[in-house]
Amino acid sequence: MRSPTTLRRWFRIVPVVALLGLAGCDMLEFSPSDHRVPEEFTRLTEKNLAKLQARPLAAGDTLRFVFTGDSQKFYDEAEELVKSVNQQPGISFLFVAGDISDFGLARELRWVDEKLRRLKVPYLTVVGNHDLVGNGREAYQHVYGPLNYSFVYGDTKFVLIDTNSREYNFNHQVPDINWLQTQLASLDGARRQVVMAHVPPDNSDFDPTLEIPFARALGTAPNVVLGLSGHNHAYRIGEYYDDGVTYVNSDAFSEHSYVVVTMWGDRQFRIKRVEF
Amino acid sequence: MKRFLLAVLLLPGLGAHAATLPDTSAAAVPPAPRKWWRPTHLLLQTGGGLGQVAAGAGYALAKNRLETDVLLGYVPRKYAGSTLSVASLKVMYSPYRLQVAPKVQVLPLTVGAYVSYAHGIINDGVRGQYPRDYYWFSRNTRVGPLLGGRVTYLAPPLAATGQPRRLSAYYELGTNDLYIASFFGNLKGGLGFGKILTLALGVKADF
Repeated sequence: MRSPTTLRRWFRIVPVVALLGLAGCDMLEFSPSDHRVPEEFTRLTEKNLAKLQARPLAAGDTLRFVFTGDSQKFYDEAEELVKSVNQQPGISFLFVAGDISDFGLARELRWVDEKLRRLKVPYLTVVGNHDLVGNGREAYQHVYGPLNYSFVYGDTKFVLIDTNSREYNFNHQVPDINWLQTQLASLDGARRQVVMAHVPPDNSDFDPTLEIPFARALGTAPNVVLGLSGHNHAYRIGEYYDDGVTYVNSDAFSEHSYVVVTMWGDRQFRIKRVEF
Repeated sequence: MKRFLLAVLLLPGLGAHAATLPDTSAAAVPPAPRKWWRPTHLLLQTGGGLGQVAAGAGYALAKNRLETDVLLGYVPRKYAGSTLSVASLKVMYSPYRLQVAPKVQVLPLTVGAYVSYAHGIINDGVRGQYPRDYYWFSRNTRVGPLLGGRVTYLAPPLAATGQPRRLSAYYELGTNDLYIASFFGNLKGGLGFGKILTLALGVKADF
């Protein structure tokens, strides 16, 4: 029979074995498309929105946020971006304009979140074409959440929409113009609106039959100030449809650059590019 | 399903003990010639990106140091977003064989590679969907290296065939082309090597 001390010694390794077991379970991947992740890496949009709303912005206050795109496969750059963004004063959140992953795999979404959760502010995403390859759509919805969603923060209503038409082989359902119009119809108490999508409307990956309906939805809705996008890995700004809506395309993680957007009043904004 | 397959794999092993009893008759029967196409082993595994459960058969060559396995794996929809059937081919080389007990061998090192094709992927591209070389990677076919080890129990030969049999439990660490590409794009330490590893656990019966 073993003495109690021997038993105790054996029990000491229980946590180590349990930890190895857990790591093992994590590694027992059924497929790269297997999107099982620990609970802390699920429903991130909902959780990050709750974090944002826990620090409300008073009506009339200037809003400042960081906007970038395409984190895909740039984990070294993500670390540098987090360091830089954490030094920005007065920002409320960070937007990633799609292509969180490179291959639409849940592990990638998790790797990105492991970097971006070190931000001092919450971050929010919109789905990109790379997030929709393979079984990425399911992985994205499991890890982040809805492909189209909206929220109000301070005086601004944000509408985020899936514009990755090519991933649906141009089925004329994406972007969902009806949903967009419904969302933009009401300010829900905000003063201005901002739309964010991954593929900009004049890109060849955006359904050409929906470009004008998309632009018109923004141009005719009450007080849409900015149309934000990513995809091109290159900064660009312009009022492309002569309707008062300014379209801003972000740099990407790979370009070591992001923009800081400051908004106040009804339509005032300032865009500042920051290199990291 | 999993339990059933496990039982099928383990049954020959249990049969072995029964077969040892009439020792003289077993020795008297000459080994039946093995048909050239007959697999030398069956296997069942979980993980490694090849299925929640994957069953297969394979051949041992070069004095059992080289093996090639064909597997068919299954991933339920709740884990991957769609039900996947995964067909895989593995080639493995195990140069060392340690006799740790009269009936127990350890193969401390197995190196190999696999290629797998997943059927049932939601968006793996249709003709005309993308311009040429839009994505450099395949959405349904993966390749990757394997590194593993194995413990083998040498079971007595089955009386009917006289073929030597082995029952093995193995593990394999692996990864795939996409994880490797992610790792090598981040050599400043942004992506730890451990994060790209997958684990497979399996049993193998040579008969």
